[in-house]
Amino acid sequence: MSETITATTTSSAKWQATGLAVHQASDVTDTNIEIQADVVIVGSGAGGAVSAYELARRGFKVVVLEAGAYVPSKDFTERFSESLGTLYQDHGAQTNSSGDLLVLQGACVGGSTVVNGCVCFRTPDFILQDWQRDFGLSDLTTAELTPYFEEVEKNLSVDDNGEHEIPHHSRLIRAGANRLGWSVKPLKRNIRQCGLTGHCLSGCKTERKQSMLVTYLPWAAAHGAQIYADTRVDKILTENGKASGVNATVTHRDGTVAARMTVTAPRVVVAAGAVQTPLLMLKSALGNRSGQVGKNFACHPSLYVPARYPEPVYPWRGALLGVYVDEFMPLEKGGFILEDGGSGLVELTMGAEPGTGKPFMAYMENAKYLGGLVTLIHDHNVGTVEWNGERKKIDYQLSDMDFPSMQRALKAAARLHLASGAEEVYVPASDHRVIRSEADIDTMVDSLENQPQHLRMVSYHPQGTCRMGVDPDNSVVGSDGQSHDVPGLYVADASVLPTSIIVNPQITVYALATRIARQMT
Amino acid sequence: MESPHSVTNVAAIWQQGMARRRFLKWSLLGSAGVVAVAAGGFAFLRRSPLDEQPVPEWATGLSAAEYHLFDRARQVLLPVEGTRLTPSDQVPVVRNVQALLDNLDPEIRKEMATGLGLFDNAAVLSHGRRFVDLSDADSCAYFDSWGHASVIQRTLVTVIKQLTYTAYWQESATWAPTDFDGPVSDKWGLAYLGNAPLPANDALGTNQPEGRA
Repeated sequence: MSETITATTTSSAKWQATGLAVHQASDVTDTNIEIQADVVIVGSGAGGAVSAYELARRGFKVVVLEAGAYVPSKDFTERFSESLGTLYQDHGAQTNSSGDLLVLQGACVGGSTVVNGCVCFRTPDFILQDWQRDFGLSDLTTAELTPYFEEVEKNLSVDDNGEHEIPHHSRLIRAGANRLGWSVKPLKRNIRQCGLTGHCLSGCKTERKQSMLVTYLPWAAAHGAQIYADTRVDKILTENGKASGVNATVTHRDGTVAARMTVTAPRVVVAAGAVQTPLLMLKSALGNRSGQVGKNFACHPSLYVPARYPEPVYPWRGALLGVYVDEFMPLEKGGFILEDGGSGLVELTMGAEPGTGKPFMAYMENAKYLGGLVTLIHDHNVGTVEWNGERKKIDYQLSDMDFPSMQRALKAAARLHLASGAEEVYVPASDHRVIRSEADIDTMVDSLENQPQHLRMVSYHPQGTCRMGVDPDNSVVGSDGQSHDVPGLYVADASVLPTSIIVNPQITVYALATRIARQMT
Repeated sequence: MESPHSVTNVAAIWQQGMARRRFLKWSLLGSAGVVAVAAGGFAFLRRSPLDEQPVPEWATGLSAAEYHLFDRARQVLLPVEGTRLTPSDQVPVVRNVQALLDNLDPEIRKEMATGLGLFDNAAVLSHGRRFVDLSDADSCAYFDSWGHASVIQRTLVTVIKQLTYTAYWQESATWAPTDFDGPVSDKWGLAYLGNAPLPANDALGTNQPEGRA
């Protein structure tokens, strides 16, 4: 049985105060679904949701296809291990091929914006200058992008953390940074009336985080965008060399196929994230004249460096992220930042381990004394995302060029912890390393080896796999997000970032997606 | 003299237990983690008294050897003597491990089985008995020696530890001794804020072209 639907648009916005109208696999009554639209958008995260709203409000008939499930906020459990299973890509088990880098991405309606830590940075000026110089992106200047940054920040209630949003562990870190004379600032976050639950990574149950789930997606829906969950796009279609739509599969949560779907549309916006977007392009054998699709993967490999303080700091209480140190952000000073980060019990087990058995349980028994710092480095784009016909493969190892940066960041984190009053700093390595004084730092960090499975790294920021540039021979899309090879095919997510940007990328993606959508004809 | 934990010897052990199977690759999947070697199970190098012990009816997603391995890992990795912590036998650790493994891609899950078999059996070479039969002290030493060894070995111990830790600490029964608050929004009665209102500039501006709907 087949059903043909024409996506509709509204003449005036019909905003709803709560929830989101989403078509789900459980709603499907036909095994073949055909839809006609002006734009089909693959992915409902930062890039997809913004694109959907911007295009729907202009009157385009917009269809959004999301491979993940729709999980309403009220169903968030504030249990991290459960959330990994329900909200994250591969149930939270997506890693590089050697397994020492966990690549955490949201896989639900709203994408990673649902499970991120709310941290907002504009693209640093020196990064934009690199893009202008090395990729010919002369139009991506600070002056050009500032209005977009301002607009998305306003839309998403981005503001500096207030003093009440600086938790106890962050205040200790701030005092330590001041003692060292290092620049320390409150983080900016996209949040309204933060509930201070500390459960950002499990989704914001009471809808304070201004994720796409409660902002751009309902706004897009208010303008008539149709959102389909449980719908994985299998292939991008073309006609006469131009984008013409997609084929997709709607799947029940038990893995059974509910329906096959074809969306016919002259514009295809791929915004599935820097892992899934290149995979779709590769599976579709499209847009890769440059050979750069899936190449240039970078991810800000980060370490969570815990330390034990003499007083309880309760790392799970208060805002998840309070302050950051940007003393070393300039490349000539190291090219990294440190963010003070909270943590729950399960998350704490994923990082450092001071010993097996009794030492570990003693460490966890005293978890309320543990504060943590997250390191973010400006890594080189040395990885690849590949599709071997059956499964994806993320090949990424911390490069020898970047390992010294990681060591410098680790040393700075240890120094900052000690200056903040910590008694022991735990190195997140596969062997047991504890720093108790300044004198220990070099010994413990310099002896680390850049080998797989030596450091316990996590990435929240995959990027770069369909990079932007003016030269079709070494980039995938232009600064307007459109494929150099396939008219009508756009990429609007972190895949397009030509280099890693050091800082949390959500604001960069929102701004670029806004700009791409506004330029689309 | 070559260490019994050397890559060569571990590979030899693997070869003995993996006749007709081909080494493919190793990988670790996230918090649960997966060691991927090759399809199939693992022939025991030495029998264990535990092999004759029944496994719980719910353990349908684990082989008997896997059940015993994780039950032993639970005892070794989660000791609570002298602490305020909840004894691990009061928490469904192995059952939770099974649930974590159920999330894996079936092919990777099959490969995982081989990796676990390798970990259990390789102890025969260094200690004369399988991991599940080692004393507590020897078990800890075995974990630590692998944590300092080859990439393959480091991967395996990370996998087993992470599965076991997550399976224990995810349970609310383990939280009170640490003062961990767990879920709080409902407990605190936080109001749901709903969707953000439409942006003030929702109406099209002059620099925002209309579509062609």
